[in-house]
This record gives sequence, C-alpha cells and structure tokens, in this order.
Amino acid sequence: MSNQVYEQNFDINNLDPADFVLINKGEAIKDEVSSIKALGFFKDAWVRLKRNKSAMMAFTLIMIIAFFAVVGPSMNKWGYNDQNPTWTNLPPRIPGLAGLGIADGTRILENRRTDYFSDPNKYPEGSILSYTVTGNVNGIDMATVKVDAYKLAGVPDDTNFLFGTDYLGRDLWTRMWRGARVSLTIAILAVSANIVIGVVYGAISGYYGGSVDMVLMRITEILGAFPQTIVATMLVLILGRGIRGIVTAMLIRGWTGTARLIRAQFFRYKGREYVLAARSLGVPDRKLIFRHILPNSIGPLITQAMVSIPGAIFSESFLSFIGLGLQAPEPSIGVLLSDAQKTLLTYPYQMVFPAILISILMISFNLLGNGLRDAFDPTMRGVTD
Amino acid sequence: MAKYIFQRILAAILTLFVILTIAFCVVRLMPGSVFDDPDLSDSVKKVLEERAHLDKPIFVQYLYFLKGVVTENDWGTSVKLSPGMPAFQVIVQKIPVTMALNFISLLIAVPFGALFGILAAMKNKTKVDTAISVGVILGISIPSFVFATCLQYFLAYKFGWFPILYQPTATTAVKVSSMVLPIFALALSPIATITRYLRGELIEVLNSDFMVLAKTKGLNQFQATVRHALRNAAMPLVSIILHMFAGVVGGSLVIERMFSIPGVGGLMIKSINALDHSLTVAVLIFYAMISVATALIVDLTYGVVDPRVRMGGKKDE
Amino acid sequence: MLQQDNSEREVMLNVEHLNMHFTTKKRGRVNTVKAVDDVNFQVYKGETFGLVGESGCGKTTTGRCLIRLYNPTSGKIELEGVDIMGKMTSEKRKYITDRAAMIFQDPIDSLNPRMTVAEIIGEGLKVRGIKDQKVVDEKIYDILDKVGLTKEHATRYPHEFSGGQRQRIGIARALVINPKLVIADEPVSALDVSVQAQVINLLNDLKDEMGLTILFIAHNLSVVKYFSDRLGVMYKGKLVEVSYASDIYERPIHPYTKSLLSAIPEPNPLKEKRRVRHAYDPTMHDYTKEQPSMVEIYPGHFVYASPSEIDRVLNGGEI
Repeated sequence: MSNQVYEQNFDINNLDPADFVLINKGEAIKDEVSSIKALGFFKDAWVRLKRNKSAMMAFTLIMIIAFFAVVGPSMNKWGYNDQNPTWTNLPPRIPGLAGLGIADGTRILENRRTDYFSDPNKYPEGSILSYTVTGNVNGIDMATVKVDAYKLAGVPDDTNFLFGTDYLGRDLWTRMWRGARVSLTIAILAVSANIVIGVVYGAISGYYGGSVDMVLMRITEILGAFPQTIVATMLVLILGRGIRGIVTAMLIRGWTGTARLIRAQFFRYKGREYVLAARSLGVPDRKLIFRHILPNSIGPLITQAMVSIPGAIFSESFLSFIGLGLQAPEPSIGVLLSDAQKTLLTYPYQMVFPAILISILMISFNLLGNGLRDAFDPTMRGVTD
Repeated sequence: MAKYIFQRILAAILTLFVILTIAFCVVRLMPGSVFDDPDLSDSVKKVLEERAHLDKPIFVQYLYFLKGVVTENDWGTSVKLSPGMPAFQVIVQKIPVTMALNFISLLIAVPFGALFGILAAMKNKTKVDTAISVGVILGISIPSFVFATCLQYFLAYKFGWFPILYQPTATTAVKVSSMVLPIFALALSPIATITRYLRGELIEVLNSDFMVLAKTKGLNQFQATVRHALRNAAMPLVSIILHMFAGVVGGSLVIERMFSIPGVGGLMIKSINALDHSLTVAVLIFYAMISVATALIVDLTYGVVDPRVRMGGKKDE
Repeated sequence: MLQQDNSEREVMLNVEHLNMHFTTKKRGRVNTVKAVDDVNFQVYKGETFGLVGESGCGKTTTGRCLIRLYNPTSGKIELEGVDIMGKMTSEKRKYITDRAAMIFQDPIDSLNPRMTVAEIIGEGLKVRGIKDQKVVDEKIYDILDKVGLTKEHATRYPHEFSGGQRQRIGIARALVINPKLVIADEPVSALDVSVQAQVINLLNDLKDEMGLTILFIAHNLSVVKYFSDRLGVMYKGKLVEVSYASDIYERPIHPYTKSLLSAIPEPNPLKEKRRVRHAYDPTMHDYTKEQPSMVEIYPGHFVYASPSEIDRVLNGGEI
C-alpha cells in the first residue's frame, strides 16, 4: 500500500480531498481484556506492607502484646488487686531463667547483722545464699547478704511471680497485662473518637470552604494554642480520674489533627475532575463526600490513627505519672510506672517491665504507622515527616 | 509589611483573649472552692468569698478579673500556696528555672539534631544511616519520663555521676551538674524530631533534579547539601523548632516533678490540687502565651523571609 | 457544511451575557479575575459547536458554567428554552443533569480510582433512581459495547486502562444517561495523537447514532476543524468570533482568530516552510473612543469589534 503511494508521482499542491480517508472511520474498536488480575487498593497496600520487615515485626509485637493484654491477667490464680502483706516487693522469678542469674528471685541486702542469720524466724531455712562481711558495728559483724527473697517471705517453692510483686504484694504479671489492657482501651477509645470527630469536622470545613471553613479553622487554632498536656490535666481535674475523664481530656484537642488532615484532603480532591464528573451527573453532596472524596483519605487516616495511638498511650501514662491517672486499684501502664518510680532506687525491677512494655508499644505503633504510610502512599517512602 | 505585622499581632492578641476567657471559665467551673474549709465559720467564709467576688455570678467575676488584668496587671491573688501574694509574682519567680530548662534543652537539640540529620542523609543507606534511624525511632517513641527514669537510675544512682535531684541551693557546679539529666531527658525527643525531619527533607532534595544540576556544575556532595538542600530545609525547620518549644514546655511538667525542679509545671499541679484558682488561671495563660507567641514568631519570620507569604501568594519580589 | 438560516433552527442552548468572575481575597486584597466576560452564543440542536481558545482563556469555565458546576456571576443560560440560572433546586439540578452531560479532559483524573468501570458508569443511572441491577448492568454493557469495550472490562479499575480507553469510559459515563447535550471539555488533548482520531471518530459516530448536540471545547483549531459545524473563538474570557467552521477557516476576521489559524502546521513541507506565524497583540485595538461589541458582520458570522473596525473590514481592509 504505502509503497504504491510513493511510486505515484502526485502533485503535493493539488491533492484531492476525496483521496483521504479518516483513520479508523467506521472501524469498530474492540479491545481485548487483559489477563492480568489487578490488585485492589487495600490488597496493593498489604503487599507493600508485607515487604516492610520492621513494620511486620512491629505488627507481630503489637499482636503479641494485645494477646497478653486479653488473656494475661487470667493466666495465673492472682487477681489484679489480690494483696498479700507478707509477700510484698518480691523480685521476679521466672523458672528456667534462674540458672542465668537473672530473674531468679534473689535479692542483695546490705548491712545485715550476721548474728541474726541463724535465727530461723528472721531467716528461714535456706534463704541465705551467700554473704560477705563488710564491717563491724558494736562488736557485731555486718554483712552484705544475697538472699532468696521467696524463702525469706515464706513463699512456697512452686509459686513464682514472673514479674515480681509490688508494695502491696500484688502480682505484677497480672497487673501489668491488665494495665496494658486498660491503656490500650483508653488509647483506642480516644483515637477512634478523635477520628470520628475529626472526619466530620474536617469534612464540613473542607467541603463547604469559605467562611464556614474560616470560622471552624479559627476554633481549632484556638484549641491548638493550649498545650495538650495542660488541657488534659485541666480536664481530668474537672471530669474526674476515670477512663471517661481521661478519654475526654484527650478528645478536647486530639481531633484537630485529624480535622486538618481531612480538610486538606477535601481541598485537594473536591475539585478533581472525577468529583466534578459525578456532580455533573447529579450525584448528591452526601454521596460525593462519602463515595468520592472521603475514600481517598482512608490511607492517611489509618496512618494517622496508628501514629496517634502511641500519643494517646503517652498522654495516659503522663497523666498517671503526675498523679492524675486512674483511681487505685485499677492499674494502667502509667499507674505502674508511677508506682514503680516511687521505689525506683530500692526495687528497680518494678520499673523494668512496664518501661519495656510502653517502649515496645510506642516503638511498634510508630514503626507500623511509618510502614502503613509507605504502603498506602509509596511516593512518600523515605520521607518521614 | 507593617500592616501584615500589625494584623498578625492583632490576631494573636485576639486568640489570647479567647483563651483567657476559656481558661477562666473552665477553672471556675471546676468543682470545689478553696474556702470549703470546715474550720472557717460561715460569716468569715462569706466575707472572704465577697472579697474574692465569688458570691457574684460568673460573668461578673469574669469582668472583675478582666478589669484587673487590663488595668493593673492583676491576675488575682494566690490564696493557698503563697497566701496574699499576687499570682503574677508567684509565676514570675518560677519562670526562670522552667525557661532555662526548656531553652537549654532546645539549644542542645538543634545542633545535635542537625548533625545527625545531615549525617544520615549524606550516608543514606549505609550503616550510619540505619543506626541513626533506629535512634530516631527510639527517641521519638520512648516517653521522656521513662528515659528520665533510666538516666536517674543508671547515671545518677548506679554510677553516681550526677545528683539524682535538682539542687537549687548547692554550689554552682553542683547546681549545673544537677541540671544535666533533666535537660538531657527533655532534649531527646526534639533531637529525634529534628533529625527525622532533616533526614527526610535532605534525602528528598538530594535526589531532586536541581541537585543533579548542582553536581554537574562541579559541586561535591557536601557543598551541594549545604548550599542547596539545607537552605530549602531551613525555614520549615525553624517553624518545627518553634512549635516544638511550646510542646517541650508542656512536657517539662513531668520532668520538673521527677527531678523536684521548682518550676511553673510543679506550680500548676500544686495550684490545681490546692484549688488555688487564680494561680491556675495564671499558669494556664502563661502556657498559652508561649504557644501563641511561638506561633506568632513563626508567622512573622515566614512573612519576613518569604515575601510570597506576606503578599498572599503574589510573586512580586 | 451547508449554511442554513439560523433563525429557523431549534436552539438547544442559549447563552446571553454570561459572566463568571472569580474573586480572591488574600489579606484584604481583592483580586477579580473575569474568567468569562459577557459571552453570548447559541448552540443549535444536532450541531457540533466548537469552542476554541488558548489555555486559560475561560473556555473550560464557560463549559462548566453551562451545566452549573460553577455558579455564574450573572447572565442567562437557557437549556432547551428553560432558564437554568438562579438558585439551584433539586428540580433544576435534575432538569440539567437529565439533558446535559460532560466529558472531561484528563483521562487519569476524571475517573475515580477507587471505583470499578461498572460503578463509574452505573452511578449516573443509580442517581436517576434505576434500582434494578439487571437493567443497570444491561445499559452498562450496552454502552461499553458502543465505546468499543467489552463486558469483561466492567469489573476492572481505571488504572488498568490506557488513556484512550479511559477516555472512552468517560464518554460511556456521559452517554449512558442518554443526554441531549454533551459538553466535551478537551476530550482528546491529553491523548496520544494516534488515539485522538480514534476517540474523535467514536464521538462523531455516537453523535449520529444517538442524535447528540455537542459543545466541543478545544485549544487546538486543527482538532475541531473537521469535527465542528460552527466555531466560537475565545480570548481572555471574551468570545471574539463566532461563525460556521468553514467560514472561520476561509474568512477569519478577528486578528486573534487569524493568529490561531496561522499556528496550524501545514502537512505540505513546502507550504509549511512558507507558513507565517501571526502573533496577536491585543493592544492593537483602540477601544478608548468607541466600545467594541458583538456584531453580525455577515449572516451567521459574528465578530467582536468596534464600529470603525467593522467599517474597515467591510471596505476590504483588516481590523
């Protein structure tokens, strides 16, 4: 075909329009269906998340902690408020680790009178493991003793407190997991409420814009001018030191971040052509908001929720730490930390487990949040702010 | 320019006024009164309440309060913690130590954060970067009071390098060394935040096209980073640091308590527990002022440095 | 293209003195942009009206005003003889959306990435209260077939399609509700040249098949050249010339139209070499003494000019 055209010696200045045919005029277009199965939005994100090792590890850790938060408190026979005045401040004893010299239920006592060592009322049989004499006061040798705290307190050999006991003789294993449960509940409650309020507020502000937006944003600015910790402190005082008070305290300012995020998303998406297209078809406002604009925010929203959870856990423990936490005897991670802080220098082990737990929780949620952000929005990879 | 500054200041003052109102109402609505003392006879109580205008409706109380604040800088009088002393004076006494603590923490955080951030960006995808990134996650995640506890236990108690608590009356050397741990505890999170921001920003800029251009012009990695990337990252960094300042001041509350530092944070907790309302309002306003002031400074510096902000998006240089 | 007497033709869309001004207020400064400035034109039933102009001249804004995606500042828009200006009621919205549909410019941006093709196309039907999924599906498959896609494509997401395919989905979405007027906002400008002809031809075929009236917005005269019956040329929010397509090409009057025409490349390399590119300089008009207005200089050929300029043209000169 084309060769023939070139061979013809035609005059380029006098072309006959009849010689021209429109490309694919009248030709039916028929497209083949591609055989590759496409990934949906969430599946795609999941595939990316699975490749992120630290996020998956964080996810596993959170799951493990959540598991223990649910079943941990009922794994042994002690309740979270079972007090025992003779078994107070026992160090942790974990069977199997004893050989390594950690968590073996022993304690070092300083400046003890050696003449009492043989008194079975003070030091029951086998409670003294070793001692070194350090001095002499009034003719009595004083020694640093390594004792088996369990034998000393008269705890049966087969009874182990994995994380030790506190100043009221309560089992710290039970209390810690119950505390984790309470802290996680508070965090999840606060964050979900924040998300709901933030989404509605931000959606109204972003969708209607103009003066509505200006007034609404002014309000968040004013709320934002109070430091979070201060507002929370104030509210707990007004509302009382229960879960309700603490959650409300976190609500007052917490939602503004979500509201700003959603508002920005609305500004970004409400002018998009597919939204206009839906509007030009007569799709009502409500459907535009929930079907067309809001779904774009799901990724950032999930990420935001993940990142806010450690913030909420922090706020809760912060309040407990300054003495405004839950009322005794209910534990939370913050309450445990605050209690342990009081006896930090004598019984540091009481601090160790809650401190590790809160650190792992915070780190895991942050890592998972980062991973989710990367998974939902691959263009943000590596940019961590 | 002058108009812009004027507008921003006016907006800040308005915000403060609203905050003042809210703080006043919230604190007054808190249950309990400082005069709920069984030892006081009813008549004495009545006189006391009358003097403090507590017998009047809350709106009238508010007007009295406002009048005092505006005309004679009278923020009310402390009734319990330092009886008879003006709330303003009580706070002013506590401000220096709190501000010193927070300022120094941030002053330390900026160079360290910048150093780690630049280092991580330039050694991107090496062991150095990985180590810094792990540090950043730890710094951001670990609560300041957990970190402070570790410092207290190991550095102060086990090794005895620093005093465990703040020593306001000791010699200067001891006093300074007793400030080290609280400052360090407070600086951890800002260091991590600055590092994270700078690292992210620099890596992005370093991979951008104009960076490639800069390198084709013969700039080496370090020059390119400092001359181009850092300049772009600097302004947002200033705003991040300023915003962080407001956050750090709020967060120092718990650190002050742990190290027994007699600052504004401790005052707030005590005044709330003692129902010393005037004092609580004054402390709240102090914190709000810091927030508003930092926001104002951010706005103004942006306006001065970047004319586009000032002119409302118009690009006339 | 026959030049009929316009007075006898049925008017689909009548636009009179349409104004769309955007005001931005930043820190007290009010800045008004006249995106559409006193625009008048008619679109007759069954024709294709091309609206041409450079980027940012207000042609897209005009198109969006016509189906009330924007709220015009003032003016009159009549769709099939009914005024659609004023407060937006649900009846008015229904009246407009039942008659007019829009095809958008960006094949990537105009399809919701979270919805399947069937959901995208079916949305317009569902909004119109067609509840029966079977009826909806049938209509979707039918229109998919018309735009050259198959039933199997219905369950796929937009990102699995090429630009041309996506634009055809956009066409299907607009046409599934059986509109009378289609506003095609630069439907091919984001497409590869090889696909442009395919989409335009499809639109042309569907126009004949479904009896559509098309308002075709483009920035490129060569695209609308053979596709439109009549043309309107816009410059900075104003309509400067309206006439039959052939008329515009053979006898352009307004200097801006001339400059647009001179920008079309010639397929003949010898001619292309000699092609002179006219630049339009708006300061050439002297509108200080007399006001310009839209004047019907020849039957059906309107131009925006002042009386003295019209005199010059009628005496064989130029504006």
